[in-house]
Amino acid sequence: MIKEYGKRSLQFTSMNKLIIFTISILLSVVALSEEPSISNIDVYPFSDPQKEELFYSLIFELRCPKCQSSNLSGSNSPISNDLKREVYELVNEGKSAQQIEAHLIERYGNFIVYNPPIEPATLVLWYGPLFLLFLSLVIIFYIRRKK
Amino acid sequence: MNKIIDIAPLIIFVALILVLLTFLSEKEDQLESVLIDSTFPEFSIASLKDPKRNLSKKDISELPALINVWATWCIACRIEHPFLMDLKKNSVLKIYGLNYKDEREKALDLLKRDGDPYEFSIYDFDGRLAIDLGVYGAPETFFIDENGVIRERHVGVIDKRVWEEKFAIYLNE
Amino acid sequence: MIPEVGHLALIAHLVLCFFAGIIPLFGIYFRNQALYFSCKRISLLLFSLVSLSFLCLVYSFLIDDFSVAYVAQNSNLNLPFYFKFAATWGAHEGSLILWIFAMNAWLLGFIYLTKSDDESFSLVTFSIACQVMFAFSLFTLFTSNPFERILPIPPINGADLNPSLQDIAFTVHPPLLYFGYSGLLIPFAIAVSAMIFQKETKEWAASARPWALLSCSFLTLGIALGSWWAYYELGWGGWWFWDPVENAAFVPWLLSVALFHSLITSQTKGLFGKWSVLLSIFAFATSLLGTFLVRSGILTSVHAFALDPERGLFILGILAFFIIGSLGIYSLRDFSKPTTEKYEVTSKEFGFLLNNLLLVILAVAILFGTIFPLIYEAITDGRQISVGAPYFEAILFPFAILLGILQGFALYLSWGSTKSFTFLQRILIESVSIFTLLIIFIYVVFSSFNFSSFITIFLSVWIAMGTLQITQRFKSNYWEFLRRRAAVIFAHVGMAILVLGVAVVSNYSIEREIILEKGDSYLLEDKQITFNSMEDKLGPNYVSKLAKITFMDQSSDHEVITEKRTYFPSGQPTTEAGISSNVVRDLYISLGDNLQTDIWSFKVQIKPFIRWIWFGSIMIALGTLIAGIKQIRRS
Repeated sequence: MIKEYGKRSLQFTSMNKLIIFTISILLSVVALSEEPSISNIDVYPFSDPQKEELFYSLIFELRCPKCQSSNLSGSNSPISNDLKREVYELVNEGKSAQQIEAHLIERYGNFIVYNPPIEPATLVLWYGPLFLLFLSLVIIFYIRRKK
Repeated sequence: MNKIIDIAPLIIFVALILVLLTFLSEKEDQLESVLIDSTFPEFSIASLKDPKRNLSKKDISELPALINVWATWCIACRIEHPFLMDLKKNSVLKIYGLNYKDEREKALDLLKRDGDPYEFSIYDFDGRLAIDLGVYGAPETFFIDENGVIRERHVGVIDKRVWEEKFAIYLNE
Repeated sequence: MIPEVGHLALIAHLVLCFFAGIIPLFGIYFRNQALYFSCKRISLLLFSLVSLSFLCLVYSFLIDDFSVAYVAQNSNLNLPFYFKFAATWGAHEGSLILWIFAMNAWLLGFIYLTKSDDESFSLVTFSIACQVMFAFSLFTLFTSNPFERILPIPPINGADLNPSLQDIAFTVHPPLLYFGYSGLLIPFAIAVSAMIFQKETKEWAASARPWALLSCSFLTLGIALGSWWAYYELGWGGWWFWDPVENAAFVPWLLSVALFHSLITSQTKGLFGKWSVLLSIFAFATSLLGTFLVRSGILTSVHAFALDPERGLFILGILAFFIIGSLGIYSLRDFSKPTTEKYEVTSKEFGFLLNNLLLVILAVAILFGTIFPLIYEAITDGRQISVGAPYFEAILFPFAILLGILQGFALYLSWGSTKSFTFLQRILIESVSIFTLLIIFIYVVFSSFNFSSFITIFLSVWIAMGTLQITQRFKSNYWEFLRRRAAVIFAHVGMAILVLGVAVVSNYSIEREIILEKGDSYLLEDKQITFNSMEDKLGPNYVSKLAKITFMDQSSDHEVITEKRTYFPSGQPTTEAGISSNVVRDLYISLGDNLQTDIWSFKVQIKPFIRWIWFGSIMIALGTLIAGIKQIRRS
């Protein structure tokens, strides 16, 4: 059909008008109708992907205070959902990871963070293993030298 | 030197056993509150009975007092309810309620049915004040002294024994 | 009647273990050969007794005999029959019978498959093993008897098996794990016996090595299965949580790996006699410790069995008796001849020494981290902290790097001293080329770069290239080389694959919590996720809300089911995840809450390369299995 029109100039015949009219109606119907929903409805919507990443990494490191042994990410209990909401709001306000963790530690204690604090009482925990490795190597080389 | 290395594993292991032994004897099954000795947090939340009345910290005026976290979905709260009514009846101290993530109608019905031991109940439907208090479930009870400082928190049912062992001491100060 | 038979069989087992555990020791001490007996006959008898006991318990489950308290607590009329069978080990009491059964099976295997010319040595090894089995039988009969009855009126129906356990993986995971744990009994018994007899390091190491390998194989499979099961069953898409009980299995695994590596040097060169003895003792000790941690209630965990400090005390006593006993012998007995063989820092021996060191310190660190919250609470007078994934991952990382580097070129090291290091150049070139290809592939598939994953991915390639020695294939007997080294190649390449899986899934996973209405779609990366339907389903012992979800992208279209189940007798809910998997990634979705009519929340995740973790684990298990069988055949 288009090839035929190509040979002659486009004439405003009544047939053409009808076609144009129908196509316009169809286009406007499509334009005005609801888009079939690719809705992207997040429970925790973020405009900033960095904030989104921060949120998901935080709920992975924060502990559910009521569960036997679970992080917020893996728990659907009411308190976990409330805490997730709290974290979500704080992330959106632009708070940093340390600030958010501090906020929750203020209320629930260090228990709520799976990352133990670095303080005098936890020095052995954090630096023990590598120190032990270093010490062992020193001892081994010392014994070898003696022989 | 060699002898030390030989006997070291034994000593370390014995130490481990002793450590594990001590762990067996004590077992605290509640999360310790880190808010002990800090002031009760600020808040601005509607009252349970009167949606138009906004409650804040200064409304908790008659100190020392208990703040009791309760809800209609909490079965254990029903168990401790008579004890709270007792405390009110004997004018021991005032009790303020924190209605935790509940439905207003159901909560009001319950108080009407079983009695209301609270001066008022804070309608904390989304649990925000609860988070500021480090609450993670119901029932929980806080003791606030005459200066508005949190002195003790109990997770679980409060009864005569818990009251005497954990809370009564602060009353007598 | 049947439960009583089972009960009596267990008592008979107890008594026989008692005598088998001490009579030979008297015989050796008083040099009275009349007190010797045939290990083969006794071990067969013991095995028959415990099998009878075990079968009686199984039978009680299968016929729904709720007069047996343990059956009533863990089963139900509506429970499918294969779960009734598995419910035997569903709780503390029954799992102990499984433990004892496993120990007997190992002992039987050891006695029949090991040719030994030293009769007293075998006898004492057997005795010690019997002592351990005696301790477990005593513990079971006195504190955790599965044959206790509810009489005269038994309940009509049982409480039901814990719904999280009602899954096919449950029928295999605990048995594999228990066989892994209990197998470490054999190297332990051999090591203690070796100390007593001041046996040649080379000889006893040869004897112990296959059993360390086989135990490790079972442990590997058991742990991998646990990880896979947690992944699809618990509904949140994680595959390792550093939960106390997971750590309780990981620590013996690390020590068993250190053990069989150390035994290679002990068997070949007669070195590391003391290392091997200590590793044998502590591998077994940590497997007992794991049992203690799970059943004593001192640690909160998703896995915790019945919380009972009394039982914990008993297990601690068993642990103390055997380990303090064996370590006492270690301290006092002069059993190891001083080594005259020297080895350079560049040698295979030194490589094995480093290997031992790294694995042991890592194991100690993980164990310490697991119980640290309790220590902290004690020393800070009540303050509580959590030690979880961030800590363990931070600690694991440097050790994994060092171990991985070692693993890459360890096979090239020579005994005594390595003359030429040109192989390092070769491995480096091979690794860099494959690494580059892999990075390009990952970029193409996932369209994102993550520099922190590069180290781990390179490590994985390094290990694989080092093990496969690809450039050697141009020499004539490459296939012969592969065949001879099948075991180590499976194991080490398996590790490389596992590390790759971990690197990718840890750095390139995506998760979202979303809300969908029936008919809605969500676009995650290039995948369209459509919520097709929601229906109610009635299962044999549960009712569920079943959602059908379609994952669609340019290449594929896959429908999965995710459910929220509520089990009848207990009312306990579980979430079943819907998973669509292929070689490169899993698409994972789990049903959340019903927010409004036809509107539900979901958690959707993309987990790339996650199957590689379990595939790698299976290869490791296969490698150690092949090695173990080879060693048994050689002896």
